[in-house]
Formats: sequence, C-alpha cells, structure tokens
Amino acid sequence: MSTKKSLPVTAYPLWLASPLALAMLLFFITPLLMLGVVSFYSDAAMTQWGSVANWAKTLDGFGLTVLLDTLWLGVQVTALSLVLGFALAWSFLRMPARLQPLIIFIVMLPLLTSVVVRTFAWIVILGRQGIVNNFLMDLGLIEAPLKLLYTRLGLVVTLANVQLPLMVLPLITALQRIDMNLSDASASLGASEWQTFKKITVPLALPGVIAGCLLTFSAAITAFISQSLIGGGQMLFMPMYLYQQVSALSNFPFAAAISLTFLATVILCVSLFNMLGRLSRGYANG
Amino acid sequence: MAHQKDFSTILFRGTLGFLAALTVVLLIAPTAVVLIVSFTDGYSLKFPPVSYSTRWYVELWNASHLHFAAMNSIQVGLATTLLSVVFGVLASLAIVGSKSRAARTLDSLFMSPLVLPALAFGFAALMTFSAVGWAVSITTLIIGHTAVCVPYVIRTTSAALAQMDPALLESSASLGASRWYSFRFVTLPLIRPGVMAGAFIAFMSSFDNVPVSLFLRDARTDMLPIRMWQDLEGKLDVTIAALSGVIIIFTLVMMIVMERVAGLSRRLRQG
Amino acid sequence: MTSRRQLLQASLTLGALQLFPGMSHAQAKRLVFATFTGSWEEAHRAVLVPAFKKATNNAEIILDPMLSVDQIAKVTAARNNPPIDVMLHDPGPALTAIDQGLVENYPVATSANYKDLIAEAQEETGPAIFFQVVGLTYNPDKIKTPPTSWKDLWKPEYKGRAGITNLNSTLGTGFLVEIAKMFGGSESNIEPGFKALNDLKPNLAAVAANPGALATLFQQGQVDISPGNFNAIQILKARGVPVEFVIPKEGAIAFKTTIHIVKNSPNRELAVALIEAAMSPDVQTKLMQSPYLVVPTNSKVKMDGEIAKVLAKDQADMKKRFVFQDWKKINEQRAQWIERFNREIKL
Repeated sequence: MSTKKSLPVTAYPLWLASPLALAMLLFFITPLLMLGVVSFYSDAAMTQWGSVANWAKTLDGFGLTVLLDTLWLGVQVTALSLVLGFALAWSFLRMPARLQPLIIFIVMLPLLTSVVVRTFAWIVILGRQGIVNNFLMDLGLIEAPLKLLYTRLGLVVTLANVQLPLMVLPLITALQRIDMNLSDASASLGASEWQTFKKITVPLALPGVIAGCLLTFSAAITAFISQSLIGGGQMLFMPMYLYQQVSALSNFPFAAAISLTFLATVILCVSLFNMLGRLSRGYANG
Repeated sequence: MAHQKDFSTILFRGTLGFLAALTVVLLIAPTAVVLIVSFTDGYSLKFPPVSYSTRWYVELWNASHLHFAAMNSIQVGLATTLLSVVFGVLASLAIVGSKSRAARTLDSLFMSPLVLPALAFGFAALMTFSAVGWAVSITTLIIGHTAVCVPYVIRTTSAALAQMDPALLESSASLGASRWYSFRFVTLPLIRPGVMAGAFIAFMSSFDNVPVSLFLRDARTDMLPIRMWQDLEGKLDVTIAALSGVIIIFTLVMMIVMERVAGLSRRLRQG
Repeated sequence: MTSRRQLLQASLTLGALQLFPGMSHAQAKRLVFATFTGSWEEAHRAVLVPAFKKATNNAEIILDPMLSVDQIAKVTAARNNPPIDVMLHDPGPALTAIDQGLVENYPVATSANYKDLIAEAQEETGPAIFFQVVGLTYNPDKIKTPPTSWKDLWKPEYKGRAGITNLNSTLGTGFLVEIAKMFGGSESNIEPGFKALNDLKPNLAAVAANPGALATLFQQGQVDISPGNFNAIQILKARGVPVEFVIPKEGAIAFKTTIHIVKNSPNRELAVALIEAAMSPDVQTKLMQSPYLVVPTNSKVKMDGEIAKVLAKDQADMKKRFVFQDWKKINEQRAQWIERFNREIKL
C-alpha cells in the first residue's frame, strides 16, 4: 500500500514484471543452469558425475579453433553488413521522400520472411549452375563454373544478406538523428563530403553502428541453417558442433559444455559491445 | 565554392550510391528468385526455369504433411504471441521509466534471448523438460518459443510507453481516475499500435523459429520451418518453393496491413 | 457495436483455449515411423503407408524421416515418452539401439511373415526389411566413360566435381571403411582411409549432410560423381535427372536395414502391424518395382527387372556380390572418427 502512495501516477509497480520474471527464471535461466550440471558428466550415458573432461575437450586446441573461427565468421559478416548497410542508410536519407517507404519495405521484407526460404534462394544463386556462375559464363569472364557454394566467401555473403536488416534499421535511425545542419555547416566551412562523412557522420552515428553490429554479429554466429546449408559439411562452427554432438553422437554432456562455452563467449562479446556503446554515446553527445 | 562538386565528392557519392544500389538488389534477390523458381515446370530449382507452370502449387494443395506442420506452426505461433503480449506488456509497464537497479536487471534478463544463441537454449530446454519428465509437446514448444519471442513485444511496447506524454496520465489521475482506469482508457489506446507491432514480429519469429523447434519438435508436433528445411535438403522438393511463395505473399500482405494499423516500420526502427 | 466486440472477445477466448492442448481433448494417438530421408520416405509414403492403413482400418501414421543416429538421439532424450514408435536402422545404429535397450524384441512367434524372410534377415531384435546397396553414382551427361572403381573418384579430371557425405550417415562411414580397405586398412585400421580422404579434398565439390542431400546435389548439377546409395537416385532417375549407378569392381557395400519397435511405445499394436506390412511379400514386391527398386528380404519375392539386371539375380547371387562390414568394430571407434573427420576434412 505504501508503495502505491509513493509511486507517481505515471509509473507502474515493479511487481507487474514478476510473472514474466518467474517464467524466465523457470524456463530460461533454469535450463541454462541445467547445462552446467550436465556438462560435468564424464560419459554420454550420464552415470559418472564430477569430471571436467568435457570442459578440457571443449577448450582444447580443436575446440578453441572452432570457437575462434565462429567468432571470426561473425566479424566478417558484420564488417560486410556494415559497409553495405551504411551505404544504404546514408543514401536512404538523400533519397526523394516518396522512395523512402519503399526502401524501408524492401529492408523489412527479409527480416520477416522465412530464413529457410532465403537461405535456399542462395543455393540457387551460388550453385555451380547457379545465377552467378551462369551470368559470368555468359559474359565470357570465366570458362568453368566457380565454386561459390560451400565456400567461406559464399557463406559470408549469404549471412551478410540474411542479417542485413538488423544492421540497416538501427543505422537509418541513428543517421536520421544527426542534425543535417551539421553537415551543411561542415560543407560551408569547405570540408569535402568525404571529410564530413569521416569527421561528423560516422562518429555521430556510432551508437547506431554498435547497436547494428551487436545484432548482426550475434545473429550471424548462431545462424545454424545458413551455416549448414551454405557452408556445407566441410565447415564446422559452434552451432553445428553442438548439434552434431546431440544428434549424431547423443553425447549430451559434451554438447552442454559446448553450449555453455558458446553462451559465455557471446555474453562476453555482448558486454564488450555494450561498453563500446556507452563510450560512443558519450562521444556522440559530448 | 561550398557546393563545388569536385572529383572526390563525385567518387564518394558514386561509391556509396553504387553500394546502396547493390545492397537493394541483394535484399530483393532471394525473395524474387524463390517466387520465380516456384513456378517452374521441372524437378530442380534451376534459375531461370526452362518452362513455367503452377503444378507445384497444385502439389502443395495435396501435401498433407506440410498442412499438418503448418497448422502446428500457426497454433504455436498464435499461443506464443498471446503469451508474449500478456507477459510482455505487464513487464514493459513495470520497467519503463523505472531507474531502479532491479528494473534494469530485469530489462537485461528479458532482452537476453535476443542475443544469446537460441540453439544452446533449445538444447538446454530439451534436457530440462526430459529431466522433469515432460514429453515434448505443443505446450513445451509454446514455452520455448515464448522465451525467445517475448523480447520483441517488450521492445516495441516500451518504446511506445516511453513516447507517451506523462501529462496525460497526470491529468487523468487528477480527475480521479484509478490507475487501472487510466491504463484501460488512456495508456492502452495510445500504446496499442506498439503492442500490435510487437505481437506481429513475435508471431513471425515464432513461425520462422528453427533453433528452439529443432530440439523441441517431434513428428507429432512437426514445425513448418524444420519440415521445409529437411524436405529441401533431403529431397530438393520443389513443393517447398511453392510453399515459400505462399508464405512470402502472406508476409507481404500482413506487412502492409500492419504498416497501416500499427506503423510497423517506424516501430521496428525504434529498437 | 458492443455486442459485436463481445462476440469477438468470446470467440478469441475460445480460440485461445484451443491453442493449449492440455485444455482441449488429447490428440488421437498417431503411430510415428522414423524412416530415412529422401527416396526412402517417398517409397514408404507411396507403398508402405497405404498397406498399413488397409491392414489397420485407416489408423493414423506419421513418417518422420531422419538419419538412424538422429532417431537414437531423439529416443535417448525421452526414453519414457519416446517421440518415435518404430525405428528404421542401419547396422551400426541398430547395434547401438539394442545395446542401450531402446528397442524391444519383435514378437516373432505370432508373426505371419517373419518365417519367410531369408535367414540373414531374421533377427529377433528387429527383422531386416531391405538391403541398401552403395556403389558409385555419376552424371552420364558429364561423365562419358562410366567409372569402374572407387579409385576413379581421385581422378584429376573430377577436380571440384565429386561429392561425399560426412560420417553422421552410415553411407559416409561405410565409404570411409571401404576405401581404408582398398588402401590396405580395415575396420580396425582406418588410417589409410583418412589419408585417402585427405587426398580427395581437391576433388570435393560438396560434403553433404545425408545421403538424400547428396542425391539432390546431382539434381542441382552441383556434383557429377559420388559414392551413392542405389535407391537414393532411383526416384531422381525416374524424373529424368541424369544420374546412373554402377557397382565398382571392388564390390558394392551393403547395409542390412532393420526395423524395430521402440521400448515404451504406447502404440505397440500398430507398430507390429506396420512391421508385418513391411515384411509382407506384397509390399516388398511393390517396393522392388520401378521407381523404388528396394532390395527385398522376403524369400517369397522373386528378384527381377532392373534389380536383377544391375544388382543381383537372386538372394544367393546378392550375397556373393555385396560387401558386408563389421559394424561392431566400427561402432567402437565411430565417435573418434567423427571427431577426426571434423578436424581433418575441414576447409
């Protein structure tokens, strides 16, 4: 009762969040803790508890390679999305106003269409007899089809495309907030457009850049379907590593150790992004 | 002098413009390719098709295993959306505007499924449910989906709440309205578009969910994206292209509707 | 206006109740049969399911196509409420399933068809209902001289055109064992096999996730030659995809495929009905014909047509031309091999 009196009329009591908090505790946090318990079984049949063998195996040379390679894939995808996304967001603001809703629509469409469908389209595009190869052969640029599917390049391009909306939307918002007068002032002081871009636009857009990068990065490293369909059986990233242990080997304890390693790494990356985000907001505002 | 278009400016604009155009093409290409390929007359997904027909749409009409998976997915999607909206709106009301440490912590907790690897969560959920003896069912799928879809509702609802003018609630209260009355007749109508946009995104992401369904589905609770993935990978079934065509059209229509009633694009960008 | 809104709300509430199965009536019990992906699923959907429905007065059945190993993972995760009633297994996973107590013995005493199976197919833990045959598959439009040996895969002219599957599938593992043997190894000495796989890398256009996926790579023109399942390509071939099968001179690899009742299945009777149908001469004869060409195990089924031409004249001839592998030995090391494959065949 006392809280009700002290609470301003515009606010709601915190206990309204308790149903969700309880549900998340039961159905989200508990399962993740469960992973911790299971990861200490030393055998796939889960009879011997209290061994760190799975952790040692997850963090051995090979396990670390897979982890780092997965993160590196995330960085590559994020970088490509950032370049493409920034160009689109920058151009968006300089487009005739009636074109803008159309562009937003085009950006949003993939976000809401099935990821299976979009990934499959890329198989049609990148295959040995796919659109890219046929186009290049028709032009006479290549004689034999290039291997694009099941390559790193193909995977990075596909993932960048699949995740692009996550980058573009925050960027557009960030760029819209920048006062156009600033660029005008910069131009009138004789700065070239490139200088203005470098000195004004990019620094002020940093919070949006970081938000976009965070979403793109975390989506790219966990994109199981795209990684397996476009990457093929010769590439191994954390999601497939985890799935393989569960499905082909029924080794749940090891899969649990892999999951937790992956989770912890992502949390670390997210914290890093958040720290950068705070720094950049300070920079952009001050 | 100030607006002199020197070479570097042209190059700069040209490069960014070119990249932007390329990006737009990249964004449209997959959808367009799937739509065109779905009208092929052949058995493979080559582009462009040699000849066109609607035979795969006819096949789709008869593919009862796909209908079954679609009905399950819709069922799970709707229930997930309902739960996400109820839980999400309550949570948003509680944490928006509160600067308390508890509120910030809850906010991070509620948002965490957006960035944490959902595949790890799907696996963890499967183990937990089987440890307590719950067989996988539509209900466990709904629980799993809700955990990863509720953040979308919270995001759009919180953004809508944050934009509300506090003076409205103050005047409502000063006229003697109870908190519930103010919520029902002031707050709710104002945040409704935000909630609807969040509900729509939550539904679409449940309908499209792979990582959680991968572990929590079984044959009796088949989920559409998993069925599509397996049929494409294992059989290269062109019927899936036709199904994709139907889903794309449905999504397009829903997007237009949601743009009209909820200002979808504006709300997506506020994230 | 108000009444319409109330009506809407009431119907929404009712609709919401429908969404939660606990609150509405429990679903009718459907039999879940985990078959294999690709052509197997199509064959079973077309022949076995109708026979089962006829025998059981239209009982409901769902096919859940997946690899043998995936079936084991699914059942292991929920032994008490198994999500599958009937499993279909390659020899390796079958041993695992039996060892882990995931399956129950087939009631052979009361079975009408069991005694007609050839001796090799009679297994109390789960009878064999067909043989899978693995040889070389190739695209005759692109490869004019048919390959004759597994060794042809390594030919420089097939650079970037060959396909294999990873070791999750029996096909991939069996192929690895076979090439190990070819280069002087065996089930217990896999070293030469891995060395040969490493040498194959430049030729690899794709490493598919399962045999079904491997077959579809021919359809998309992604690969021109691969070790392949005789049956996986038959339906593609019938659709006009250019793909052919040959038995290499080293012999075809054969897998006995067994069908099992999952322990704790609530649908035991239906499961038995399905397995009876799968053993029956009627179903096996239909499955043996084009386009399915499934190798029968019922001695009453006479092998003829395409099967007799390409694979074997009769069951005796079959035993001569097929190579069977020691899956007990393979199973002991399979996890290590998968790990090694992960490490070494990576791009």
